[in-house]
Amino acid sequence: MAQIFPRWTNKIPLAVGVTAPVVLVSVVFAIWYWFSPKFTDVGYQPEQPVPFSHKLHAGSLGLDCRYCHNTVEQAAAAALPPAGTCMNCHANLNLGDHENRIKPIKDAFAGGPPVEWIRVHMLPDYAYFNHSVHLAAGVGCSSCHGRIDQMETVFQDQPLSMSWCLDCHRDPEPNLRPRDQITNMAWGPEDAAAYDPNTDPTRTRAVAPPEHCSGCHR
Amino acid sequence: MTAQRSNTLVVAVGLLATLALSAGCRGNKSKDPPIHPNWNMDDQQYFQAQEDNDWFPDHRAQRPLVAGTVARGLLKADDHLYRGRGADGRLVDTLPPSITLDEALLDRGERRYAIYCAPCHEQNGRGNGIIAQPGSVATGLLVKPPSYMDPRLQAMPLGYFFDVISNGKATMRPYAAQIPVEDRWAIAAWVRVLQVSERAAKADIPPAELGKLNSGGAQ
Ligand code: HEC
Ligand code: HEC
Ligand code: HEC
Ligand code: HEC
Ligand code: HEC
Ligand code: HEC
Repeated sequence: MAQIFPRWTNKIPLAVGVTAPVVLVSVVFAIWYWFSPKFTDVGYQPEQPVPFSHKLHAGSLGLDCRYCHNTVEQAAAAALPPAGTCMNCHANLNLGDHENRIKPIKDAFAGGPPVEWIRVHMLPDYAYFNHSVHLAAGVGCSSCHGRIDQMETVFQDQPLSMSWCLDCHRDPEPNLRPRDQITNMAWGPEDAAAYDPNTDPTRTRAVAPPEHCSGCHR
Repeated sequence: MTAQRSNTLVVAVGLLATLALSAGCRGNKSKDPPIHPNWNMDDQQYFQAQEDNDWFPDHRAQRPLVAGTVARGLLKADDHLYRGRGADGRLVDTLPPSITLDEALLDRGERRYAIYCAPCHEQNGRGNGIIAQPGSVATGLLVKPPSYMDPRLQAMPLGYFFDVISNGKATMRPYAAQIPVEDRWAIAAWVRVLQVSERAAKADIPPAELGKLNSGGAQ
């Protein structure tokens, strides 16, 4: 009787044994690397309708974040400024050749359509985030948004994933600073090492970030 | 046979490499919105602050107030607190009864002044802030802010500064929408501190602090 399987089939178990782990590892790697918010979300830098530069306004001119994002200490959302806030200065400034860059703002202020800024940071709607608690606890903007004052156009610097939130919630102390330094973009690791929140007299209680699910999924 | 096999190997490795390269590395800048493999309930049917709603012609989910209406709890009936004016309708020269003058208030005023006023009026109130002055980054304001040390402003009651912050004055735009009312009083009080410190004589300094001045510790 002839053989049912030709001779080369003897190699199949070996070939499968070698390729299967390679394929499996590649698939796991690909999902770990490319499906993570560290890849899908970090670096998102949409082109905005007005070429507004944080590098110029917050960096060179040194405006405090709260001049424009003025709700950030009282509310969950750090509101983007209305056209009127830009006009505080730009009604009284002459940009010369660059005047057309600010035109959508001036039109909106004169009653035209509002400027439709494109959202950069975006948590899923089932996760709850609140700026005011974090700022009251002394977590600075740059811990979560990076060096905004060096960005010509804003991009997402941190993954905003659940593990990222929890990494800090489990060990918040290295990320805390005196509460009058929250908008200080230059706050670095050396300053953090020199600051001990436990001996800060302006703090009346230890911070207690939630780690239970309903803290953020409410 | 072996040549062919090594060819396949090269092609396979090449394919894998192009796949990896075209997918890009973590942290690359991109103008395209994030691609989420699984959207779950990322976007639910409610509107967050400042989200857009295509149902309205101006696309704003947050609706502006209908003209002539006041939201519940936001009727600002206290003239002294909200308008800086007394019962006779004139500008007051005192803080509203709900705000007490203490170190915390002045401290708050100084910090808020640094955020909202100092870019134009300068931290010392003389009007040479970074926005106001022509400099390396800015060409300067077309109309310059005055110095608070101006005799005309020195003579103004406290309520005047509250009024200028809240309602603006000539080319200075109102800040009522940006600064809560208590902070506006704190800033007004701080402006007064700046003015008084300009007029202060050496005799006004408490003896305990005088040492600092002589040793150059204070400016
Ligand atoms: C002169 C006003 C102004 C100042 C000062 C300012 N911002 Fe902004 N900010 C804006 C505007 C307008 C936008 C929306 C356009 C954009 O994304 O660039 C924005 C966007 C942002 C965003 C992205 C929001 C999103 O869509 O997710 C972040 C984060 C941010 N600002 C942080 C900061 C921080 C931190 C500072 C202080 C260093 C600061 N801003 C200072 C006006 C300002
Ligand atoms: C603990 C981390 C954290 C800190 C600290 C923080 N932010 Fe945010 N910020 C976020 C997250 C997360 C979002 C996205 C919120 C969402 O999608 O609902 C966000 C969104 C924003 C937005 C977009 C509008 C909004 O509220 O959704 C602006 C503007 C902004 N932040 C500015 C600031 C400024 C200015 C500071 C400092 C004063 C600051 N943030 C501090 C995490 C932080
Ligand atoms: C505190 C004052 C101030 C505020 C508030 C402000 N700006 Fe500016 N802006 C400036 C100054 C100063 C310049 C530089 C002007 C010059 O070049 O002389 C400038 C320049 C610009 C330019 C031109 C940049 C270029 O490439 O030449 C744009 C666009 C702009 N601002 C947009 C905005 C927008 C949008 C807002 C509101 C979110 C805003 N600004 C709020 C002070 C301000
Ligand atoms: C850099 C540190 C840090 C990061 C990152 C961070 N948090 Fe927090 N969070 C804190 C601290 C500190 C507190 C505690 C505040 C307190 O006890 O006063 C807190 C408190 C909270 C609270 C409790 C609010 C309340 O009302 O009790 C929520 C909800 C929360 N964080 C959500 C988030 C989410 C969602 C993220 C990720 C997008 C996040 N946080 C990222 C530091 C952080
Ligand atoms: C510190 C805040 C925080 C806490 C505590 C927290 N989560 Fe989350 N969770 C988040 C955020 C933020 C996201 C969205 C992450 C993203 O966009 O990738 C999320 C996403 C999720 C998702 C969806 C994942 C996906 O991609 O589909 C699940 C499921 C989830 N959380 C379950 C839990 C459970 C169960 C717990 C309790 C053990 C918990 N979470 C506690 C902040 C939190
Ligand atoms: C964008 C720049 C700018 C900012 C920020 C600003 N001002 Fe002014 N301010 C001006 C200008 C310009 C004038 C002169 C107005 C005129 O006479 O046309 C002025 C005038 C004034 C005057 C004098 C009014 C008079 O009778 O002549 C006072 C008082 C004043 N500002 C207080 C403040 C306070 C307090 C703040 C902070 C809440 C502030 N300003 C923020 C630009 C600014």
